[in-house]
Amino acid sequence: MAAVLVESFAQVSLKIGAAGPRILSSPLRQLANRYRITAIAASWKGLGIFLYGMQIVLWTLVLHRLEVSVAYPMDSLCFVGVALLSMLLLGEVVDRQRWLGVFCILSGTVLVAL
Amino acid sequence: MPTNTKIPLAVILGLVLAIALDTIVQISWKFAVTSLPENAPVAVMGMGMLSDLFFYLVLLAFVAQYFNWMRVLARADLSFAQPITALSYITVLALSRLALHEKVSLSKILGIALIMLGVFLISQTPHRTIRTNLDP
Repeated sequence: MAAVLVESFAQVSLKIGAAGPRILSSPLRQLANRYRITAIAASWKGLGIFLYGMQIVLWTLVLHRLEVSVAYPMDSLCFVGVALLSMLLLGEVVDRQRWLGVFCILSGTVLVAL
Repeated sequence: MPTNTKIPLAVILGLVLAIALDTIVQISWKFAVTSLPENAPVAVMGMGMLSDLFFYLVLLAFVAQYFNWMRVLARADLSFAQPITALSYITVLALSRLALHEKVSLSKILGIALIMLGVFLISQTPHRTIRTNLDP
């Protein structure tokens, strides 16, 4: 679960790094602009890379303890995590069709890992 | 912000490249790990990795992946681009089956179909719903 959370946040940080902090939804953007470090894209890129490194370590630990058939579907929960965070933190429009797609992919990865 | 429905070529190429690199990472990562001695001390494992060609392939692919992914994210929604990379589950499965000459079970075929359906559904949604740095 921690690995899923870290990966989802890593993706969001990279997105903020790529598109600039102004994509943050408004209350968060005001908060980010208050501090110089969170107002620049580079620090978000750095955070994203750091979280990704952490994710690789966590994932290696997970694979040591869990069967691949359990671990892989767990990993694809990231698609749900990323969709939620993109919606809440970035204000992206995740409409019903996009959600449906996410859940198709999620169930597909469960079947593939069986 | 409403966006046009046509997905830019840069986004499509970026996604294809992302899936290809993802596949390379996963397969060479597997080669790199399986070539290591089991239950060896961490130091031995580390040395083993550094002398493994696949390990450097993984590193190289990671770096390329990063720069490519940032280009994609500058042009498309995260909630659009990220789930589409799930196609790498299929490419990895196909390649590893090709190498092992195993038969693919019915549930796996069904899973592949579901992933494809999911990616198709997402590809039909607007690729960008918020403004980015590239906007004027």
